[in-house]
Amino acid sequence: MADPILRLSQLSKRFGQFAAVKDIDLAIDEGEFFTIVGPSGSGKTTLIRMLAGLEEPSGGEILLRGQRINETPANRRPTCMVFQSLALFPHRSVGQNIEFPLKMRGVPPMQRRERADELLRLLRLPEDYYGKQVSQCSGGERQRIALARALAFDPEILFFDEPLSAIDFRLRKTLEKELKDLHRETGKTFIYITHSLEEAMVMSDRIGIMRAGELVQVGAPDEIYSRPANRFVSEFMGEVNVLEVKPNGAGLHCPALGATLQGPGGQGGPGDQGDFAGGYLVIRPEYLRFLGPGETAENQIEGVLYNEYALGSRIQYQVRVGEAVFLVEKLREQRYEGQLDDRVVIGWEARDSVLAPE
Amino acid sequence: MTEARKKRITHGLMAAWSGSIIVFLYLPILCVVLASFSRQRYFRFPVPAFDTKWYDRAFSSLTVRDLVSTSLSIALLVALISVILAFFGALAFARFDWRGRRIYQRLVLLPIFFPQAVLGLALLIWFSSVGIIPDWRTAVIAHLVWIVPIVTLVISIQAYSFDPALEEAAFDLGATRWQTLKEVTLPVLWPGVVSGGLFAFLLSWGNFPLSLFTTGADQTVPEWLYAKMVSGYTPLVPTLGALTTSGAALVLILGYGSWMLLRRRKSQRASP
Repeated sequence: MADPILRLSQLSKRFGQFAAVKDIDLAIDEGEFFTIVGPSGSGKTTLIRMLAGLEEPSGGEILLRGQRINETPANRRPTCMVFQSLALFPHRSVGQNIEFPLKMRGVPPMQRRERADELLRLLRLPEDYYGKQVSQCSGGERQRIALARALAFDPEILFFDEPLSAIDFRLRKTLEKELKDLHRETGKTFIYITHSLEEAMVMSDRIGIMRAGELVQVGAPDEIYSRPANRFVSEFMGEVNVLEVKPNGAGLHCPALGATLQGPGGQGGPGDQGDFAGGYLVIRPEYLRFLGPGETAENQIEGVLYNEYALGSRIQYQVRVGEAVFLVEKLREQRYEGQLDDRVVIGWEARDSVLAPE
Repeated sequence: MTEARKKRITHGLMAAWSGSIIVFLYLPILCVVLASFSRQRYFRFPVPAFDTKWYDRAFSSLTVRDLVSTSLSIALLVALISVILAFFGALAFARFDWRGRRIYQRLVLLPIFFPQAVLGLALLIWFSSVGIIPDWRTAVIAHLVWIVPIVTLVISIQAYSFDPALEEAAFDLGATRWQTLKEVTLPVLWPGVVSGGLFAFLLSWGNFPLSLFTTGADQTVPEWLYAKMVSGYTPLVPTLGALTTSGAALVLILGYGSWMLLRRRKSQRASP
């Protein structure tokens, strides 16, 4: 494996008494699409601003290809950021915006124009947009202009500070894919931050989950999805069923249900919970199913169907078992045929659940 | 009474009210203009006979030339200096967070509300106590004390709506600090700078109380107008009054006009 393009060691940032980023170690490979996901206030923006050179670290090191760049100002780093507000210059035309980094570098006008036209094509913007005012462009077009401007800089790493957060759902879905295609086309290293794990899943090679200034888990999307390191990560992924449990020899005792459940099991089969000493059992709503007469599952619970919600292609059901609430999701074609307030039995297989120690 | 009729009456009353406000605001100036075209040596209204001879006199008078050049020098210098000071002051207000910013903000704006006669007197006392003999240059300083806060306010309105990410983006895209100021900050704040400059020029051009105390032996147009009204009235008073007012109006119209022209040219270039 080649050396990482960017390595952070013990990187931290304090604002007065408040530690925004705490001793982060991370290595990012050349050409990787790495996404940092965290709720607001988790320190992800501070982290990316340090990487871009807009904020100076309080401790630790940032190494770009092995060279320490802590003190290098943003304008002398071979990196470039797409801002949340996009920060397009309102007094310049689309073309002049794209040419900006080239102009700063003293590239002659003819060459600048050539490169701008190239980038307009790459981002599938009409060529006559060169002279257009930025204020006359749509939200999606502005995204592409900001991207084109960043690419004109020809950075080794591109940073993204939630550029899609202000865009409506449908367009966002399109732009996410476009961004991933652009990543393939350019082969550059992309480091992206967002508060939406769903967005991260679509685009990223690897994802880092941040909470309170620390990286809680780093891994490929699949890994994060199927093996969340803790309850925080699993809940971040969207709606999941979380049960507090404790091993009791026969399985996992769940006080809320007053039942013993089978967990995913350690090396020694279902009865063995490995070194799990108590915590949470996490089950995704799509792994739960309604059991008809005669059907069984490794874990079964009886409850009352309280409500149902249509979520596009899927339907979500709320099932109440005493005080506990379960969410069950089915594809529309496999919907549960029945009435609200029906007594239902829901179940899941032990291997479809995940243990989270905290 | 029908609904339609009620509506008509309301509209009529509103029009009359707006109209009378406009008349109230502009009629006095109009009177001065009319008086300036009078043939009589004495100020009388209504004007019995019209003539433009006082304008010929005004244009050939050396006194008038001196007055206008003093007023113009003060106003131009005040506009220039106040725009520079206010530009950076506004940036400091709007863009940076520092200890005591809010209290400083209020303290700096306070001179706007000082009675100008008191401010002028205070400055005069201060000048003489440090041994400066007042002339038109001390008036520049006096005007600045009052005008810089106003211009700062005008420019900071523009600066508050300025996205700080714009400067960061420029910096991140390889611009130096100086390039960022020249290529991004200044052009984006330009409308505020232009209107701040116009404010400064016009407020200085028309200022009387501060000039009265601080010009020393020099005299500005408003000072002369007042002095001649008090004693030694000449028909040049309304003439010069009308001229300075139209001068101010001209500056405004030129400023606004060139701004509109620039914008139109820009949007034409944008959509060929």
